[in-house]
Amino acid sequence: MTKKKMVISQEVIVAIVLVALYLIFRLISSDFGKYTTFLSMMDISYYYVLMAIGVAFPLITGGVDLSIGTGMICYALAGGYLIRAYHCPTGLAILISVLFGVLIGLANGVLISVMGLPPFLATLCTCMITRGLGSVVTGSFAVPWPTAKQENGWFHSIFKITLENKTKLPLGLIWIILLMLIMQFVLAHTRFGRYTIAIGSNKEAAILSGINVKLYHVLVYVVSGLFAGLAAIAYAAVIKTVQPGTGAGMELDAIGGAIVGGVSASGGYGTIYGTVIGAYVIIFLKQGLPYIGFNANMQQIITGFVLIGAVTIDIIKRKVIK
Amino acid sequence: MKSFKNNPIVKKLGFNRIILFCILLLMYGVFSILIPGFAGMARIMSIFNYVYFLGFLALGVTFVIATGGIDFSIGPVMFCCALMAGYSMNTYGAPVIVSILMSIAIGLCFGTFNGYLVAFVGVPPFIVSMATMNIAKGLGSVFTQTQSVSWPQGNDPSGKGWFRGLVKIGDIPTGLILFAVAVVILFFVMNNTKAGRYILCLGSNKEAVRLSGVNVRKWQMLAYVICGTMAGIAAIFFVSAYTTVQPGLGDTYNNEAIASCVMGGTSMAGGLASIGGTVIGVFVISLLQEGIMAMRMTKEVQMIITGLIVIVFVYADVSARRRKS
Amino acid sequence: MGEVILQMKLIDKSFPGVHALDHVDFSLKRGEVHALMGENGAGKSTLMKVLTGIYTKDSGSIIFEGKEVEFHNTHHAQEAGIVIVHQELNMIGDLTVAQNIFIGREFKKGFMIDDRKMIEESKKLFNELHIDIDPRARMSDLTVGKQQMCEIAKAISHKAKVIIFDEPSAALTEKEIEDLFAIIRDLRKQNLGIIYISHRMDEIKVITDRVTVMRDGSYVGTLITNDCTKEDIINMMVGRVIYEEPKTHSMVPKDAPVVLKVEHLNAGKMVQDVSFELRKGEILGFSGLMGAGRTETARALFGADPKQGGSIYINGEKVTINSPEDAVRHGIGYLSEDRKRFGIVVQKTITENSTLAALENYMAGLFINKSAEKDVTVRYIRELDTKTPGPEQLVVNLSGGNQQKVVIAKWLVRNCDILIFDEPTRGIDVGAKNEIYKLMNRLASEGKSIIMISSEMTEILRMSDRIIVMCEGRKTGEIAIEEATQEAIMDKATRDIK
Repeated sequence: MTKKKMVISQEVIVAIVLVALYLIFRLISSDFGKYTTFLSMMDISYYYVLMAIGVAFPLITGGVDLSIGTGMICYALAGGYLIRAYHCPTGLAILISVLFGVLIGLANGVLISVMGLPPFLATLCTCMITRGLGSVVTGSFAVPWPTAKQENGWFHSIFKITLENKTKLPLGLIWIILLMLIMQFVLAHTRFGRYTIAIGSNKEAAILSGINVKLYHVLVYVVSGLFAGLAAIAYAAVIKTVQPGTGAGMELDAIGGAIVGGVSASGGYGTIYGTVIGAYVIIFLKQGLPYIGFNANMQQIITGFVLIGAVTIDIIKRKVIK
Repeated sequence: MKSFKNNPIVKKLGFNRIILFCILLLMYGVFSILIPGFAGMARIMSIFNYVYFLGFLALGVTFVIATGGIDFSIGPVMFCCALMAGYSMNTYGAPVIVSILMSIAIGLCFGTFNGYLVAFVGVPPFIVSMATMNIAKGLGSVFTQTQSVSWPQGNDPSGKGWFRGLVKIGDIPTGLILFAVAVVILFFVMNNTKAGRYILCLGSNKEAVRLSGVNVRKWQMLAYVICGTMAGIAAIFFVSAYTTVQPGLGDTYNNEAIASCVMGGTSMAGGLASIGGTVIGVFVISLLQEGIMAMRMTKEVQMIITGLIVIVFVYADVSARRRKS
Repeated sequence: MGEVILQMKLIDKSFPGVHALDHVDFSLKRGEVHALMGENGAGKSTLMKVLTGIYTKDSGSIIFEGKEVEFHNTHHAQEAGIVIVHQELNMIGDLTVAQNIFIGREFKKGFMIDDRKMIEESKKLFNELHIDIDPRARMSDLTVGKQQMCEIAKAISHKAKVIIFDEPSAALTEKEIEDLFAIIRDLRKQNLGIIYISHRMDEIKVITDRVTVMRDGSYVGTLITNDCTKEDIINMMVGRVIYEEPKTHSMVPKDAPVVLKVEHLNAGKMVQDVSFELRKGEILGFSGLMGAGRTETARALFGADPKQGGSIYINGEKVTINSPEDAVRHGIGYLSEDRKRFGIVVQKTITENSTLAALENYMAGLFINKSAEKDVTVRYIRELDTKTPGPEQLVVNLSGGNQQKVVIAKWLVRNCDILIFDEPTRGIDVGAKNEIYKLMNRLASEGKSIIMISSEMTEILRMSDRIIVMCEGRKTGEIAIEEATQEAIMDKATRDIK
């Protein structure tokens, strides 16, 4: 029982770290406390957090999905291109973007679960493939999605609405919280979630228990792909013009967030609320460092060390428990 | 066919490597027919330029894959080495030789860092790769204040361009000679030294090797150190051929290096590695890159193709192992 | 006892290098407890794995409730009503007890898993079985014995018609075993067919109705338990195969020096204050039940696992052993019970395996001296009579006995004087077993000192000059071979179990 207490405290610690980071940044920089800063930070956060929620599932099975970053850009490019070149209705384009994500997730799942490729390798390949596909589809041109003022730009208001008195509200935060609760519920109280943990904890035993492990293992990557698809929409709503060839490295921030938030890199344990808090820690670092006079690229280095630090703590913790 | 497979010479060279070599020749033939003006020395020299740096990357990562690990931070690490060493030369006036040594040293540091984390701390290799990729990109950007770095041209008046002789002196592809020397050395390291033997054995069954009284951590770490150092050397050959490096890039080369290894018969499961196979794999990828460029297609098409190549070859390896057991 | 519920006819199964099952027959009636006996490697577990669909048989037929069946996985077998309680635990450590028991068939309330109902059902189940376990506890927090009880509860909850117990008592305390027997008697009353695999003769006499004996992958015969004696069963198990002559007295000269002295060795729960001496040319047997801490003692001594305390003296000199590297430097070699995982590098050649521990002696400058390496390998292939086409053969293609010889060669090439054999004949054919025995005796007579861990009583009594018995991580006895009997050993091996 002591183990459980320790693990719970992991998420609590990360939450404290998040608050502490916020306070430190505010103390040093007065600009950081402004509402506009908060708004722009929320804007950036949506797609990272969505990716993190999705990738938590492969991580809990002891795998990984490296294709979410470039994948997200690829799906956003595809959707935007449909609107620009074929005057596709925005709703349909969004649907296709998300379905594209599901499809790549399915491909990852089949490669890993059915064909038996190592997860990091299979998804490293789909990472390259989606990066290439995005450029090929659009002929290597940047693709702008409709702006908020344009008629077919209604999807922006999914994430941010402007009230009559010109105040902007980060509506997306509500969706993030909602999705977090739903996915936490899925992880804790449905068969899919339970078997995700079982695969990560002891795959052999899961097979012997008569679980269709292959199917659920595929589904895990489909979920990851689905959330990368949703992230694509959030990305398009915030960044407006999608550049082909970008996206590499974004998966690291999402994966880093999940691991910082207590998801075990060796599988078998993790929570979605921890993942979301962890992702916000990474985003605060990313967005906050320039406010306190650091080069924005420092964040990359720090994220790298934070990732290694979080995994090392996990390893030490497991050793101590043993 | 079977008798051909069992021929002692064929066995020695490796049936798969002979096939891969034939594919290489065939590809060259097809490109020469399809693309007017593809055949000829100019193209070959251009292919060689790609071979050098990719070759060093792939040779290095072969050792890591032989341990059953992975390192997909090598591309960004190579760029980080080239950026930091080049920036030191351009901005702080470091002599060329110092910059070259610096590049190799930075690669070595990254390799040591990765190796220590994997072998001694026990962090999974893919996590280490992800983290190092981030760190290398970030370090390259921060150090250069996010500017691209150009190494001196061959005819640079300062005389700093002499290092380009590493790749080509007049029409003599000196790079090829250096690469060949590296291949021979690493071939012997892999097959005829204690390091290679232990790396291959621990890739196959680490615990059994440890229980034989071998300090497995040390040797496992060494594989990553070799890999990092090779990335540092690759950086020199990269700038010798392509002059300019930009911060934040380099990850496309990871997959190409890994693709070269797996094509050449190095198993992702560890324990089986072929330096000769990796070399042929490097030539195939470099030829492919040149062919795709010559057909006026983008780098992105090549990413898709290398991605698919890796999937196909790793799947072949995985299913061959499944059949055996 | 009712009609026959399950019949296995002429089951045949081969693995590379081993003919695991040679046309085996077996039948089970409703309402009986049927013991399946045989030495390690006799094929009991393999037969049960064929029955439950983990392995596919090469030939033969399985008739269950009058119909021929073929299961493709354990799930199929479960659905039909055949469940197995595995010897190795098959629990998912990160889930709770209740979640484990109902995994794969969770109660649902809409989309949701009904965890509350699962906990309630688990409680009911545990009450019926008189087991005291909290269904909400995490599986990995339980002791091995309790995990085993959960596994049994899980099997019973499947509404099975046939339950297979694969050495269930190995990790249980005496009290738990009594509980288990009460459960089994209850199940028998409910007219289930029960297959009970065990090594413990006393248990067999107490709980079973019939005994089927297997030997070296073949069916030997079936007896009614009440009509036969222990000796009958043992004779059937051992057969008429001529082993190396059993030892009646120690072969070690009285004045042989002590080469290894271990004092107060402590390593985790499984090794508590273990002290012993090993003399030159001696074969020191380590006996005890599964989970008694013998392997753990060996691994701690060898530096494979960390230890909390204790001193080790080699030839009278105190040495520090913190890693296998240290142990090997001091001339200790360890032959693991699990050769494939810990002993050999299967995908490599005999040569590469033979010189693995002593590569520095086969170097010419920076390079490996491949011809010297080959010479020494060939020499040991000849000396140990390893059956292989040549030194370049991959070890994966050798039989179990020959793989074991490669491991022995590895330590001989390294010139180790102290060898730890952990279950030296596990998974090895009978003919090859005898060869390994001969080899061990020869090594001892040549002055090597051997620690032999074995779960086979016959092996212990045959090979040892002296026997140390362990129980629950402690040394509970030391018996000279002249005074050793099966009963004396068993008495000490269960001494601490309350």
